[in-house]
Amino acid sequence: MSMLKIEGLTAGYGPVSVLHGLDLEVGEGELVVMLGANGAGKTTTMRAISGLIGRQGTIEMEGVNITKWSPDHIVRAGIAQVPQGRGTFPELSVEDNLLAGAYVRHKGEGVRDDMERWFDVFPRLAERRAQKAGSLSGGEQQMLAIARALMSRPKLLLCDEPSLGLAPLITQELFDVLGRLNTEEGLSVLLVEQNANLAMHIASRVYLLETGRIVASGTSAELSADDSIRKAYLGF
Amino acid sequence: MDLFLQRVIDGISQGSVYALIALGLVIIYRGTGHLNFAQGEMALFSTYCVYQFGEWGVPVWIALVLGMGVGFVLGSITEVTLVRPISKKSPFAVFIVTLGLFRFLNWLDGAIWGNQQLPTTAVGSKQGRFPSLFPREPEDHFKILGATIRWERVGILALVLGISLLLYLLFNFTKFGLAMRAVASNAESAKLTGIRTHIVLMVSWGLAAAIGAIGGVVMGGLNGTVNLGLMFGIFIYGSAAATLGGFDSPVGAVVGGMIIGLVENLASGYIDWVGQELKLGVALLVIVGVLLVKPSGLFGTPKVERV
Repeated sequence: MSMLKIEGLTAGYGPVSVLHGLDLEVGEGELVVMLGANGAGKTTTMRAISGLIGRQGTIEMEGVNITKWSPDHIVRAGIAQVPQGRGTFPELSVEDNLLAGAYVRHKGEGVRDDMERWFDVFPRLAERRAQKAGSLSGGEQQMLAIARALMSRPKLLLCDEPSLGLAPLITQELFDVLGRLNTEEGLSVLLVEQNANLAMHIASRVYLLETGRIVASGTSAELSADDSIRKAYLGF
Repeated sequence: MDLFLQRVIDGISQGSVYALIALGLVIIYRGTGHLNFAQGEMALFSTYCVYQFGEWGVPVWIALVLGMGVGFVLGSITEVTLVRPISKKSPFAVFIVTLGLFRFLNWLDGAIWGNQQLPTTAVGSKQGRFPSLFPREPEDHFKILGATIRWERVGILALVLGISLLLYLLFNFTKFGLAMRAVASNAESAKLTGIRTHIVLMVSWGLAAAIGAIGGVVMGGLNGTVNLGLMFGIFIYGSAAATLGGFDSPVGAVVGGMIIGLVENLASGYIDWVGQELKLGVALLVIVGVLLVKPSGLFGTPKVERV
């Protein structure tokens, strides 16, 4: 049974439809990368999965149809999202951001332990734990956004362009962490990226999205072997 | 000196009523970014209800709690049925909706309780005066450094400080408080962490109206009566207090309210030509001065964001 299975998903904003029948699957323990140009519908797909916008079609998680569920219900089922542009709570301290991430869990269920764990993974957050999130650098905010999503102990992590606006070294560091979470802890990940080269290194499988539809999919090796795809998305 | 001390105490106590209205405005503004024009009139409806409970023989403190309950329900229903559906379509329209609600509630109060001062023997009120939460007979006072301090004033101040402390604890040390702060900071991210933002907003409006109800009842007690115009001035002072404090800061609302109360009392007490007519003007002048120097208000958070 797959972690996430999407069939015939259409979604958009008001009368404007962005996705036109999208099919996509994330197996248990897979790290799947979705590539696509600006406006292809990557963020819309993520928002539809998390239940933030109206959607039709079917979205199943571990065989359960969650298409009509509310956002909080979807988080409780085990899907956490790191939204595009980080989406931290700028006026809240780093610690409060993480506590908010654990909102769906019960107090005392090891929430504090988890927080310390992510502080170990991202030591720079530990140094700034009492600081307001809005005062962190872009890279630190992205780390915070990922740590916050992980505080809900998700089974599936949705990550929307984490590399946006970050220095290459920081991006590399973030992808290393995502890769490790995937291989060492079996966390399933759906990663949206424009930085195709980096993303394909850690990907189990890759989907190509164009104007609201999946136009190609396969392993990283398969897609890089295709000349036209390589030229359009990988730039070499 | 004695007169000064008395004016200070009276000013702070008067200002604490403004603080209650300001607190309600701040809670709603933080959660939704809306200015609730009906804040004062929601409080007035609750205040009339407290009068009505008093007519039925309910003790004043219990009547207050019931009145707060009425306010809470009124605020929640307003958010769910009016504010939420309309703010989806146009955030600006919410402003007009709360303005309309302001007129509607005032009309409703008049339709139910009439446009005279209450209580009055003309409609057969059983109470002689609007019930007060604290002793307010002429002998209920004490002297300190020659100043006459009425217990009622001290009680109101203590009540408002107590409410503020409770709100502070709610905001900063409870899970619901964390949810409220998260929604205020970034509503979409709050949804993504599993916070039921619609419930948070509903409760915020309810809470704001319940706090406003305390303000209305305190005002009714101070005046000894309730009438349709009771909250007009208080709402303006309350908005001024919220602005002075920074509009997104509960602490700012309380401090702002007290500063305005102080300025108002001292200015009208010491400057002859200010008197009763111009005291609001002086208070507003102080606010303009503060905002010129510190545009985000005394305690407001200036928008700082690194990208």
